[in-house]
Amino acid sequence: MKKLHVPSWVTLLLRNSKSRLGLGILLGILLLAAIGPYFAAKDPNAFSLLDARQAPSWHHLFGTTDQGSDIFAQVSVGARRSLLLGIAAATLATGVATIVGVLAAYAGGIVDDALNSLINIFLVLPPIPLLVVVSGFLKSRGLWTMVLALGLVLWAFEARILRSQALSLRNRDFVNAAKASGEPTRRIIFGELMPNMTSRIAAAWVLVFYISLLTDAGLEFLGLGQLDKPSWGVTLYWAQTNSAVLQGEWWSFVFPGAAIALTVIGLVLLLSGIDEVSNPRLRAEKTRHSFFARMRYALMGGRVAPHAEAS
Amino acid sequence: MRWLLRRIVFYIFAIWVAATLVFLLPRLMPGDPIGGVLQHITPAQIQANPGIIQTYEALLGGGKGTLWQDYLRYLHRITHFDFGISTSNYPAPVSDVIGRTLPYSIILVGISFFFAFVIGTTVGMIAAWRRGKTLDTVVVPALMSLGAFPAFFIALLAVYFLGLRLGWFPIQHAYDTGLTPSFSWPFISSSVRHAELPALVILAAYTGGWVLNMRTVMINTIGEDYVQVGFAKGLKDRRVMTSYAGRNAILPPLNGFAAQFATAVGGVVVIEFVFSYPGAGLTLQQAVLGNDYPLSQALLLVLALCVIGANFIMDILNLILDPRVRAS
Amino acid sequence: MTVSLIDTPGSTGSARSSETLIEVRGLRVEYGIERPVRAVDGVDLDIRAGEIVGLAGESGCGKTTVANAILQVLRPPGHIVGGSIRFRGQEIAGLDEESLRKFRWRNVSMVFQSAMNALNPVLRVGAQFVDMMQAHERISKKDALKRAGDLLEIVGIDRRRVDSYPHQLSGGMRQRVIIAMALALEPELVIMDEPTTALDVVIQREILQQIQDLQRERGFAVLFITHDLSLLMEVADRIAIMYAGEAVELSAASELRTNPQHPYTVGLIESFPPLTGPRMRLTGIPGTPPDLGEPQVGCRFKARCPYHDPNDAKLYDRQNTERPVLREIAPAHFVACHRVEAGT
Repeated sequence: MKKLHVPSWVTLLLRNSKSRLGLGILLGILLLAAIGPYFAAKDPNAFSLLDARQAPSWHHLFGTTDQGSDIFAQVSVGARRSLLLGIAAATLATGVATIVGVLAAYAGGIVDDALNSLINIFLVLPPIPLLVVVSGFLKSRGLWTMVLALGLVLWAFEARILRSQALSLRNRDFVNAAKASGEPTRRIIFGELMPNMTSRIAAAWVLVFYISLLTDAGLEFLGLGQLDKPSWGVTLYWAQTNSAVLQGEWWSFVFPGAAIALTVIGLVLLLSGIDEVSNPRLRAEKTRHSFFARMRYALMGGRVAPHAEAS
Repeated sequence: MRWLLRRIVFYIFAIWVAATLVFLLPRLMPGDPIGGVLQHITPAQIQANPGIIQTYEALLGGGKGTLWQDYLRYLHRITHFDFGISTSNYPAPVSDVIGRTLPYSIILVGISFFFAFVIGTTVGMIAAWRRGKTLDTVVVPALMSLGAFPAFFIALLAVYFLGLRLGWFPIQHAYDTGLTPSFSWPFISSSVRHAELPALVILAAYTGGWVLNMRTVMINTIGEDYVQVGFAKGLKDRRVMTSYAGRNAILPPLNGFAAQFATAVGGVVVIEFVFSYPGAGLTLQQAVLGNDYPLSQALLLVLALCVIGANFIMDILNLILDPRVRAS
Repeated sequence: MTVSLIDTPGSTGSARSSETLIEVRGLRVEYGIERPVRAVDGVDLDIRAGEIVGLAGESGCGKTTVANAILQVLRPPGHIVGGSIRFRGQEIAGLDEESLRKFRWRNVSMVFQSAMNALNPVLRVGAQFVDMMQAHERISKKDALKRAGDLLEIVGIDRRRVDSYPHQLSGGMRQRVIIAMALALEPELVIMDEPTTALDVVIQREILQQIQDLQRERGFAVLFITHDLSLLMEVADRIAIMYAGEAVELSAASELRTNPQHPYTVGLIESFPPLTGPRMRLTGIPGTPPDLGEPQVGCRFKARCPYHDPNDAKLYDRQNTERPVLREIAPAHFVACHRVEAGT
């Protein structure tokens, strides 16, 4: 009947090498978003045909686009947009998923059946085609519209996972004990159930963050974004449409693409860290580091037990 | 068996919801899509497409019928596979356009995504079994890092490096220009050649996820009692890995396959765009940009149907592989 | 004296030789490498052909670990760090993989605790017999299935159940299947780890009866592991008591019942009410076992022992500093206790 204490896994997370690396990368991106635009000192939308299609140089750190816009400015201003979008969409989707998942699991019965069916229906609708069509209808494709659209489309995946976790927790003894001793429902949900789900909710948040990043970038890449506001996906769209790739102008897509990739990798590493912390079996056993341990193995002729090489 | 029947009922329900959603979508959007579209229609278009205004009205509302009447007419039409006329491909009916392009996507995604699953779960299984050895410490992180890159970025890199710089693969379209679709060898071999790079990109992008998933489940499964018993019985290492641990560990990822398929369908849209590969994905993108609502909505419905179909196939596989499901 | 394990004949009915099958000496097993927990710390145990040896102790005392060590199926991160295990004189721990594989199940098999999870859920019962048989001898699938059916009948299950999946069987049936599987290759020793603990009392009785009948018929040795000492007193020939990773008492069952020596054994016996006889006050054993992650000094039972008394200075000192060793205090009766040794 153990309850997870929130602080302990957070500190474990900071000690885990994967999540540390991930957080480091994300910090870098954050820095780029915060300080980069000031370094660029150029309007990301300003174009000048004189400077067009230039490879990276000291003057234009990431080179210029077909119209002569500075790519570094676009990438760093775009970073702000992407981070904001990711955080907002993740919070929205995770919030909805948690509410639906926990409600379904706790209420049970018809409510659960109905919510579960709702979740399953949302799961069979392919998100990107749906968003593509929706974007086609929308007149404004601003940041908050995208956040709303992403949140509404992506919540189902995590809702299913959170519901099944809430279900398994709900049937555990400590919840039944709380119910039997007359604890009010609200306290049971917030005091007993949810604290045990924090790591999964955090994992869900990170997951939706990077999926919405990818989805948004994908949509913009297809030409369905706001073509005048600087963002990673839009920069890539212009690169593709102006055949920059085919003309060998690698800088026009490598930098924005790498920015997306790095942010996603940072988030994925963070997610791995969360997974490893919440499931101790996944943690690698540090073995054969001490001299004596190695001696023991050598003396036993390396033969101890099947796959107990404990690597 | 009862379980399967319940799933089928659910799928029929899901299809109905998808169809209704597709119907309602334009009418739910803020603003006035029909107005916006009508504003942009040029007289030249009306001349080329005599029925274009009615087509749009039937789809987007604003016409003569009530919502309910339009809905019933819509349902009636789609059950006869009549999706209307594609405004950007006039006078081709939408079903024709879909029939021409969907097979390319199905073959591309079907084969490569399936292989990503098979290869990924196999690598994940072996990596978990031999933790700390080369496969686990080198190959797995490599595949996972690759998978963390957005699919279209990999596509762009592939086009640039493997296609443009090294010239190893053709980088555009589904077959060499000049050829016509037929069952002839030149066409088929050209198609295969052109599908290679997109398929590789899909493999690169999605295998890592399966490796991670399977490895995690496998590590948990290895701790189960029956695996220990397998060893105690004196079975060979490989048999315990595959028939005891592996066959049990694959069940959760298999269930996840169907959910992932929806993502893959999305990914293929972007990949086809990069390669100008004329599948349903590229067609969807062009339809949306060209305001070809009949085509884009029909495609959305068809793609949703594909996902439902994949889910159904996975359910059947689950039935075959997990005897506990058969019992319920 | 080393006999090839592969050629060891199966046990036959009346061969009640006092041949030693298993000889465990100074076995030490640890879990983990960075901060290891020594679950078994210097255990000696002998198992002779045809006898039933009971291994009793509370949860966590190391008895399952000893069993797993004999078959070399320790769960990672468990590994043997010292001592030897010999089967008919041949050292098991150093065996190459192939010989180990052949040794397993054929010479020594095991009935695992909680049969719920011991059977592979995705394979039919029959298939789980077949793969085991085919791993050890040349036999066709058809013949193997037939033998599997025979074995099921022996434990009282309809032979058509070879086609069933584990989840289609009740708990008691699954346990019987496990027992049938353990006997399939006619091993000389069957280790039974809490074979009846997870079952209800009525089934427990039946299964126990079955085990005894089979043992009488086929003459295999049994290492019966349980925390239920009263059970062992009925069934076992000799009993070993384990506490905190050590063997603290070893004697014939009858001797143990009438003349238990180690305070822990006494405590255990007095914790079980007899079904018949006068009502008596039950005493438990206060306290908890020591944390085996910490290094142990002196007697491990001292914290809970009624004879650990600072007033008895010399004994007290010895209990605190010197580790008790198994000594023969009566014919074939071994105890590891300073007080008993001192001949109180």
